[in-house]
Amino acid sequence: MFKPSSPLFGGLLWKTPWRISSPQKARQRKRLRAVDQVVDTVSAALARQGQSTKSINRWYDEMPREQEMLPKDKYTIFDKKERRYRKSIHKLPKWTRVSQRVNPPGF
Amino acid sequence: MNFFRITLTRSAIGLPRRTTDVLKSLGLKKRMGTVFHPVSQDIAGKIMRVKELVEVREIHLERKPDPGYYVEKRSTAEFLEQRGQ
Repeated sequence: MFKPSSPLFGGLLWKTPWRISSPQKARQRKRLRAVDQVVDTVSAALARQGQSTKSINRWYDEMPREQEMLPKDKYTIFDKKERRYRKSIHKLPKWTRVSQRVNPPGF
Repeated sequence: MNFFRITLTRSAIGLPRRTTDVLKSLGLKKRMGTVFHPVSQDIAGKIMRVKELVEVREIHLERKPDPGYYVEKRSTAEFLEQRGQ
């Protein structure tokens, strides 16, 4: 049954909630840990053969682990157009499949 | 020889073209598909490009086919061997 509502009635009106919900946050933490685990597995496997890779070394140098990140960095990202320069991470396109952990210098 | 066991858990739909190409070069076509690759730097680099989409485990044993025969042993020896395990 058609239920008239603004998103259905008004053509291109897409509603993304302003806040990120707590299950979404929990899943975000889970994904961050999963990526950490993949990097650890690959790094340990290479180390066992006495090898290393530039991309892994860079990751360890630059990226914080899930446990080391501030909640601010886990759930929000920098945006120069936003008030107070932060917006919720679920506004980032493909946010469940990209690694976004650090801020630009000074923010 | 050690192997990476790589499973594609997230699809690359809508991601940049190069992500799909990396998956293709690893031999991953569909979600939940699994491939084995020897542990090496180039494979590690490829995994790093798609680390958000895959699940990786390290496999230590080389997979061997079933030899198709078994060697007879004295029952005492067999018993002790099983006990030891």
